[in-house]
Amino acid sequence: MKLEIVLMLAVAAIWLALALVYALVPGLDMPGYIRVWGIGALVFLALAAVLYRARRNQT
Amino acid sequence: MSTTSTTMTSPRAPQTPLSRFATLQTADRLLCGVLIALSLFALALGIAYGVAMALVRSGLLAPAPDTGYRVLTLHGTTAFFYWLYTAQAATVLLLAAAEKKGALALRGLAWAGTALIAAGFVLSELAAIAGPPLLYEANPELGTDDPRTVAGMTGGYLLLAAGFALIALSSIATVLATRRQADGGLSALGFGLLAWAGFLIVSAVAAVNAFLPGLLWASGFGAFPHAATTDWHILFHNLHYLPLMATVLVWYALAQDLTGISPATGTAFSKIVFASYLVFVPPTSLYHMFLEPGLPESVRVAGSLLSLFVSVPTLIAFLIVVASLEIHTRAGGEGGMRARLRRLPWDNPAMANMGVAILTMLIGLAFAFVLIQEKLAPLLSDTMFVPGYFHFFAVGTVTQSFIAMLAMAVPAVSGRPLWRPRLLCVMPWIVLAGLLLFGAGGLGAGLMGVPRRVVDIGYGGEAPAIWRPFMAMVGIGGVLFASALAVSVFGVLRSLVPGRRGLAAAAEPHVAAARSAAAPAAAAWTGPLAVVLLVAAMYGATIGAFELMQSLPVTAAGGGAH
Amino acid sequence: MEPTQLESKQHLTTRRGFIAAFGFGGVALYGAWAAYGASPLPFTHASGGHAAHGTAPAKAPAGHSGHGADPLMTPDEFLRRHEAFLARFRTPDGRVVVPAAAAPEDAHADHGAPQPHATHGTPTPPPAQSHAEHAPQPADGEPLDIYLHAFRFGFTPDEMHLRAGQPYRFRMLASDVSHGASLQLGHASRIVRLRANVVSEQTITFHRPGRVLVYCTVFCGPAHDAMSGRIVVA
Repeated sequence: MKLEIVLMLAVAAIWLALALVYALVPGLDMPGYIRVWGIGALVFLALAAVLYRARRNQT
Repeated sequence: MSTTSTTMTSPRAPQTPLSRFATLQTADRLLCGVLIALSLFALALGIAYGVAMALVRSGLLAPAPDTGYRVLTLHGTTAFFYWLYTAQAATVLLLAAAEKKGALALRGLAWAGTALIAAGFVLSELAAIAGPPLLYEANPELGTDDPRTVAGMTGGYLLLAAGFALIALSSIATVLATRRQADGGLSALGFGLLAWAGFLIVSAVAAVNAFLPGLLWASGFGAFPHAATTDWHILFHNLHYLPLMATVLVWYALAQDLTGISPATGTAFSKIVFASYLVFVPPTSLYHMFLEPGLPESVRVAGSLLSLFVSVPTLIAFLIVVASLEIHTRAGGEGGMRARLRRLPWDNPAMANMGVAILTMLIGLAFAFVLIQEKLAPLLSDTMFVPGYFHFFAVGTVTQSFIAMLAMAVPAVSGRPLWRPRLLCVMPWIVLAGLLLFGAGGLGAGLMGVPRRVVDIGYGGEAPAIWRPFMAMVGIGGVLFASALAVSVFGVLRSLVPGRRGLAAAAEPHVAAARSAAAPAAAAWTGPLAVVLLVAAMYGATIGAFELMQSLPVTAAGGGAH
Repeated sequence: MEPTQLESKQHLTTRRGFIAAFGFGGVALYGAWAAYGASPLPFTHASGGHAAHGTAPAKAPAGHSGHGADPLMTPDEFLRRHEAFLARFRTPDGRVVVPAAAAPEDAHADHGAPQPHATHGTPTPPPAQSHAEHAPQPADGEPLDIYLHAFRFGFTPDEMHLRAGQPYRFRMLASDVSHGASLQLGHASRIVRLRANVVSEQTITFHRPGRVLVYCTVFCGPAHDAMSGRIVVA
């Protein structure tokens, strides 16, 4: 279960980093990428949180 | 159809993933049955439009241009959106239910999702039939004279996205309610389902990002969506990856069911591979835009480099699955590769479909990698090369994998044995033959510059004469694989009609008994050798494209835009 | 209960590291890119060893690599220059003949050019005679400007006569919806995508005489099939 949480957090972190790249790098004028990768990061963060809660409920 | 069991089993044989379909509750079987029927109906319709398109492109049918482009729109809308995404909704739900070995969680939500998908299907189809052809991306630029068509198609897609997001939520809740492994974690497949369902939700977000502005504009509530092209590319990239992730999860489950062996690499490694799908999605998204004017050169270069990693998770999953199959064949005794290959349960339609799916994935990958090189994009993008290679994936790999899974799941859902399994075992090979012909024609035509979305390629007699024979191959191959696929669809649909016992009883899926004893350490060279051959084929295809590019009597520079 | 896993003493080919390494097999394609000078990393460009393989497929003449080479051009500005281009090079029979020796177009565009307008395909009355033959020579290797206007469902000019060996800077505009302005070059094509109201630019040199079909490769509506033109390379 711990691995699953770590993996989901890693995915969320990468999506967030990509969203930040699109938001901060000049010339990458594609706000759609910021929205989709950013919201995606939140979805995977939420999945990590749900897994964490399930783990806590088990123990 | 035979049930393959090659190794020792204990009195308490462990269950393989798909064997648990037999434990589905009646209410869940009804829901899954409706989703499967809806998806197969979309596939059947998509095949019919596809056959018409193949005949048009080969010159055998000559409809009015408007009709030709309308059929092209309907083919893409129906086969790409409604077949692939309804099938995924059915698959994620079925596998989640099988994981849990109990009732689906949030079943009401899943029913609501199914209803939304059905409503979206009707809306998109009606809009595409009644309005001007916008192609399947519902391009608002082409709908300025008739925004209602844009509203209908985008509205339908948004309902589809909402539908599969709700079903993904139900699947996540179901997986989280499964019995945990000894370490308290999910099974590898359970984690894969969780990741896939999360990705489905994100893709629904991408669909909202792509289509909501168009819907608002068409309904008179917003400005014209000038970013529609970029937003479509984002969604399109997700929609490339999603079915492939679904496919490897299906293979992962099928390999265990067909061989009784769980992957030698272990649960943790499989989870990392499934998560890596999500890791590689965002960075590899730029290659779809290489031909877009105004894309900075640095972005093209970075996009090319990052796209080299696009196949990493698929190839690792492929290696895991092929290793399982090979170990199974080696456990059956000594012999060369041919003898070992024969030991696979080819008399099971699921195996035949999965085998062809694996082969077509390798063929498709060899050519797909030509397009990730930004310098080659001006040679091949927007040509028949694109449908030439992607049908290997969309039909050969993804559709056949879903058919493979349905061949296992439908008897459990309907309580009826699979219709004519021997015939259904032959169909994938005919699909492969048709795809090879279609692919050879399409790839050849694309290399010569035949545009992918032009109904009549004559150009008043100015087009090269060699274009025609290649397009004839596309037509013949397309009709061939579509016909064989239609037989498979009929077979699965026919088996879905509840048997005499009705939904109350489930037929046992035909699976191999799981092994309860460890197999001896065995070599699995087939996968690595296949990767070596694949890389050689990629080199061949890429070098061929570079040579062709350099032989052009023209030098061109810049794709600049102001 | 899950199916039993294979025992821990595994063959090399089923070990995680081995499988993961082969999963990166596709990355090996970088070698083919490098061999053709299309590798994106700087050190391969700096090696200077690509001459034997020929130039990269889309190698730019110095100073004309496309992006940022020119100041911003609006669609209106494009249309104004396009009209001037037609007025300058259109012959009485409707063809557009751009010889290798032509003056920089700005010299003409800045005075006496027709007023810009947003309609499509309305040809300007042809001049009594082409100025081209009397134009001063451009600098060696300097590309000549070509203005190609794409619209539903055609191109202006729809027939151009150009010279082999002369670089031309194609400035292109799709003024209504997205279009393609791809070039069919016999055994293969060069695909060009144009987005609506975005002026695109490519510097193109034809190396052999012949007829080149210009065709739209981005679906633009019911008469998309009919959207074509030609370039005659002399």
